[in-house]
Amino acid sequence: MTTVKRFSGLERVEHFAVMSLFAVLALTGFPQKFYDHRWAQVLTGWLGGVDTARFFHRAAGVAFGVLLAVHVARLVFSVVKGTTALSMVPARQDFADAVQTIKYYLRLTDTPAKFDRFDYRQKFEYWGLILGSFIVVGTGLALLFPIQTALLLPGQVIPAAYVAHSQEGLMAFLVVIVWHIYNAHLSPDVFPFDTSIFTGDISVERMHHEHPLELERMVKTEGAPQITKKPAA
Amino acid sequence: MPRHLARAFILLLIVTARAGAQAPAIDNATCLGCHTDASMALELADGTSVPLRVAEDALAGSVHAKHNCVDCHTAMAEVPHPPRTFASAREISVTLDAQCRTCHFANYAKTLDSVHQQAVARGDRTAPLCVDCHGSHGVTKPSTPRTLISTTCAKCHEGVAAQYARSVHGRDLSGGNADVPTCTDCHHAHDVAGPRKTEWELKSPEMCGRCHANPAMMQKYGLSTNVLRTYLTDFHGKTASLRSHQGTPVNGAVVARCTDCHGVHDIQKARDPQSPVIKANLLQTCRRCHAGATENFPGAWLSHYDPSLHTAPLVYGVKVAYAVIIPFMIGGLGLQILLHLWRLMANR
Repeated sequence: MTTVKRFSGLERVEHFAVMSLFAVLALTGFPQKFYDHRWAQVLTGWLGGVDTARFFHRAAGVAFGVLLAVHVARLVFSVVKGTTALSMVPARQDFADAVQTIKYYLRLTDTPAKFDRFDYRQKFEYWGLILGSFIVVGTGLALLFPIQTALLLPGQVIPAAYVAHSQEGLMAFLVVIVWHIYNAHLSPDVFPFDTSIFTGDISVERMHHEHPLELERMVKTEGAPQITKKPAA
Repeated sequence: MPRHLARAFILLLIVTARAGAQAPAIDNATCLGCHTDASMALELADGTSVPLRVAEDALAGSVHAKHNCVDCHTAMAEVPHPPRTFASAREISVTLDAQCRTCHFANYAKTLDSVHQQAVARGDRTAPLCVDCHGSHGVTKPSTPRTLISTTCAKCHEGVAAQYARSVHGRDLSGGNADVPTCTDCHHAHDVAGPRKTEWELKSPEMCGRCHANPAMMQKYGLSTNVLRTYLTDFHGKTASLRSHQGTPVNGAVVARCTDCHGVHDIQKARDPQSPVIKANLLQTCRRCHAGATENFPGAWLSHYDPSLHTAPLVYGVKVAYAVIIPFMIGGLGLQILLHLWRLMANR
């Protein structure tokens, strides 16, 4: 299987950090949201009590905030320096691709949309994550520092932040469970495991199938896909 | 050895049988034959003495009216009484206290968990015995009339009893209202637990909720039964709830429960100008835990109201927005997955 490079080392580290922190945040956050369910009470006990769970939730939350800040700073820096291809920025083509894909799914056409480096679903998930992260980090800080928050804003912002934090967390969890797990594991296209975000490599075959426009460009500029792994003899 | 044991057992049997045989039915008339003498007194080791005269109708009107003296004073069943010495009058009460449990064992068992019994066991001679609350010869139903309960506790707990008497509950109780809680409704009677124990404190929302989440009772007073639910779904309530169910020791700082904001013995109506939760006093109340809280801070608490367009438009807006977005988002993504699978099936 011939593979090409898809993700940098830093991107893989970022994904791993998001994944781990998300797991800690969900594990320590949901027992608080669903406090009156037996499973939440048992889980809270296993975590060493609500106060210990809250300590880990806050520590992981602060780490998540730092990760977000570093990511955004890195992006701003690379945009200013002009070293990014802006391949994640949504474009008019993405809407056309979405319509084309739905048409294809509904069997109104037999031509699937041809995607570049990131398809509209990946962009949607990425920007959803970025926006959602700003919401949970922002509201999380408001809840962690309620006195300081009320210095600047009306008190009602705090319960509003509480609802938003809790519901945004639930939505993020459901998106991951339903959408991300499907696309990274359960979809017949990648089943059982899309390893590219962990190894950094993706097969040329999948590139051809999922990111044909990027592959075409690679071939044009580099003559042939940059092979990172030799096919097994 | 077995022979020794057998001998000891037989001896025990004989002693027990004699003890049983030695309990002749001494009627009250026999007792009163001596105990009407006003000059009779028992000299105590501390130099004081207790009069041994008993009023002829001492038990009349009490719940024990049909009992004989020796039912309680079992050690006096032998006449003349074997000589006994006591250090003080209190020691007599302590000795006799063991008598109550022979009939009232269930209530005695409950006292074993109480702060009162722990104090007795420590040797604290001021700690209450059965008779200190119930009385001795004139023992009556302790909760009739209901006002008797707080009067009984007030014999020692003067300060809180006075606070209670001025509270919304205490005022109503003396006005003849049987709905309001009195001391034992929260603290219990025999198994009085230490109110500063964490486990006990965590029960306070539950205790207040027994009445304040009871629609039939609250309707009478025009009070909302949402108070418990709205407390529990908020940060403070969730913390208290999880702590009380988590099965592991609590390690965090105390979280606000009903009594922390509303007061305990001195609780007033929420609309009373004296109430710590009325708007004018609320910031001061928040500051007891949230030092440095400013003017806007109490606005974070929605006063037990569910957020609505009227009470908290921002919170309500966020709530509605997510109630719409979440099903729309997850439904949309789920639908796309199903369509994808449908197309893949068609491709095969």
